[in-house]
Amino acid sequence: MADKTFWTGSDKYLCDKELAQAFHMSRVLGMPLLIEGEPGTGKTELPLQYAQDLNLDLFVYPVGSKSNIDQFVARFDHVKYLRDSQIEILNAQRQQKGLETKLSTGGRNSEVLNDYVLKGPAAQSFLSPNSVLLIDEIDKAPREFPNDLLYALSHRKFVMPESGDIIEVSEENMPAIVITSNREQELPTAFKGRCIYHYIHFPDSDVMRDIIAKHYPTVSNKIVNVALDVFYHLRNIGLERAPTTREILNWLKYVKQYTEKEAIEKIENLEGIGALVKTQTDLEKIQQVLLRNPDDFKRRSTPN
Amino acid sequence: MLETLPEKFRSYNLKADVRTILLLQKAMEKGLVKTLGDIYNVLKGIVVKDPEMMGPYTRAYYDYFLNIDIQNGERLNDAILRSETFKNWKEDLFKREKLDKEYDLDDLVNRFLDDVHLTSYDIKEIISGKDLFDNDNPHLTDEDNPADENEMSERHLDKMADYSDLSLEELMQRLEEIRKQQKTKHSGGSHWIGTGGISPYGHGGAAKDGIRVGGTGGGKMARRVLNDRKYFPVDIDSIINDNNVDAALAALKGITEESAQEKLDVNHTIKEGLKRGGLFIPEIKNISNEKLQVILLIDNGGYSMDPYVHTIRELFKKMKTRFAHDLETYYFHNTIYDRVFSDAKRHKPVFIDRFLNKDPNYRIFIIGDAAMAPYELNKMSLRTYKKICKKYKKTVWLNPEPKRYWHHTFSINLIKQMVDMYPLTPRGIEDAVREMNRKK
Repeated sequence: MADKTFWTGSDKYLCDKELAQAFHMSRVLGMPLLIEGEPGTGKTELPLQYAQDLNLDLFVYPVGSKSNIDQFVARFDHVKYLRDSQIEILNAQRQQKGLETKLSTGGRNSEVLNDYVLKGPAAQSFLSPNSVLLIDEIDKAPREFPNDLLYALSHRKFVMPESGDIIEVSEENMPAIVITSNREQELPTAFKGRCIYHYIHFPDSDVMRDIIAKHYPTVSNKIVNVALDVFYHLRNIGLERAPTTREILNWLKYVKQYTEKEAIEKIENLEGIGALVKTQTDLEKIQQVLLRNPDDFKRRSTPN
Repeated sequence: MLETLPEKFRSYNLKADVRTILLLQKAMEKGLVKTLGDIYNVLKGIVVKDPEMMGPYTRAYYDYFLNIDIQNGERLNDAILRSETFKNWKEDLFKREKLDKEYDLDDLVNRFLDDVHLTSYDIKEIISGKDLFDNDNPHLTDEDNPADENEMSERHLDKMADYSDLSLEELMQRLEEIRKQQKTKHSGGSHWIGTGGISPYGHGGAAKDGIRVGGTGGGKMARRVLNDRKYFPVDIDSIINDNNVDAALAALKGITEESAQEKLDVNHTIKEGLKRGGLFIPEIKNISNEKLQVILLIDNGGYSMDPYVHTIRELFKKMKTRFAHDLETYYFHNTIYDRVFSDAKRHKPVFIDRFLNKDPNYRIFIIGDAAMAPYELNKMSLRTYKKICKKYKKTVWLNPEPKRYWHHTFSINLIKQMVDMYPLTPRGIEDAVREMNRKK
């Protein structure tokens, strides 16, 4: 039976309370959890950390612009099938000519269609009870992909191509399915209706402090305070692409190799800003802010 | 039971139907719903499919379950304070706790929210009522200050409902009664948002004590949601502006007919097969269609168009970086005669005959208010529109003028007969794109 207990995160991963509740709900109801939110808020981390923490099998399907349902569920390898059947003919011909050696089909038997079914992450996870299935960045998929998923999601059942075998999973053993999206395109309403939906709000500074502490417990409070000030200030000045959790963690990774004093200086002088700001227009915008007020990023709060 | 829920939620433009109730019932069956706060959470996961639905959802929930009607732009606190539900709750609280009259209203509202949004996740353990009775301490008061937002503090719940013994039927029934109770005048005694979600009193459900961890999260979130425009839908019927430009972009996105499929590559198969000496193995190639060619014709003359030109350019610039790589922009003044211009200042003319030599697969967006003096729209201009529409089947006109005024303007009426015209709103763009895709 699949794990249905309430999971609140691990030592490495701070799971937002609301997210934890939505995740729990989706597992209890045997429905996929659809997580949306700004990039870098830890959408993908949830299933990864959950699987790791509870030692469950994890299957990941990274979605791309060429994704289709066959890759996700299973596809029939026609090429191998044809090759093997031709090899059988060849072998028969060789035998007639009295040749001893045979060409190999690698253990596959062209009469067993199942030998040629290549199972994708979905079929695999449905076959291993109590696993975790991550469908990452579904918004990158072509439009029909989510619609194709609908049947499988609501019936908990896949039909294997050609062989016609059915992979079915009970509601009890349903893998924990997590789907993430960056909202680059709107998903079909019917698809969303089959999922439990959760939108990750951007963490406020208190939560961010906890997140940083989980990743870099050794970085001093002082550094974190200064960095957070600059970070949230940057988020507030209206950049095209505001820095996210991932970015501040990278930045801290860079400055933490210095002494506290050096690090604070580096932060205030926006050194290594490339870790936070990713577009040319944004960099120019920051430069403009600095031109107007060179101390804009310095000591906004009293150091404690 | 709860059969009126979909109707109420739909009046807030939320998607709710009989499946919503069935799912909620299923969640109850699985033990996910023990308090009113749980219902808020569970329904949120089921009903809300977009952050923009958070605002309407929160309002619908308060309206349906608590009979608290939050007006547009009203603060949650004010809506609560003027509600009958809150008055009843307060009366009851005073009766139980014998508070003196010196209280801080904000604290009380916080406490109310705390009760409403108490979820079973907040409750660490449930102590059975009998144990407490045996200990002769059935009415422990809540000593902590509920306004204290220090989340992990443990608080004692002096009473909470435990519905684990109730059948689903009874639970639903109870919920329905509770909901109706809000509408009637408080008759004393049977309140239901007691300390612990759904009332411990009344029919069914034993009163038990519990220990609560944290809390306030739900109430805090409800407040945040109601105060932030981000959690309300953008108006897709208003002329595009900086607020709904993203919705417009999403509507434009529909014009890429992207698809991914595998197809037999005949040429490659033959070539490779010949190399293998006649062993033909099918070669598969990935086909993905993302060819998108767009031409914009923008009316940037006259001050009537000024307010829109910037947003329009912003919109299509975003479109270009996101998914259309072949985007050309031309300008005209009021209407098109024999030329358009490739620069915004209209110095570099491109004659229509040359313009018409382009690939017929181009999609043309003409953006302008089409309002001009009747003499300006002469034969030459009309002929030009006819030619453009004939050559480029996928031509639409987007008009920033509100649709209801269109029929007053002579030139709009005339042009509308030749070029499909849509309002320059996210919805209009969506419709235009759908129509474009229909024409092959």
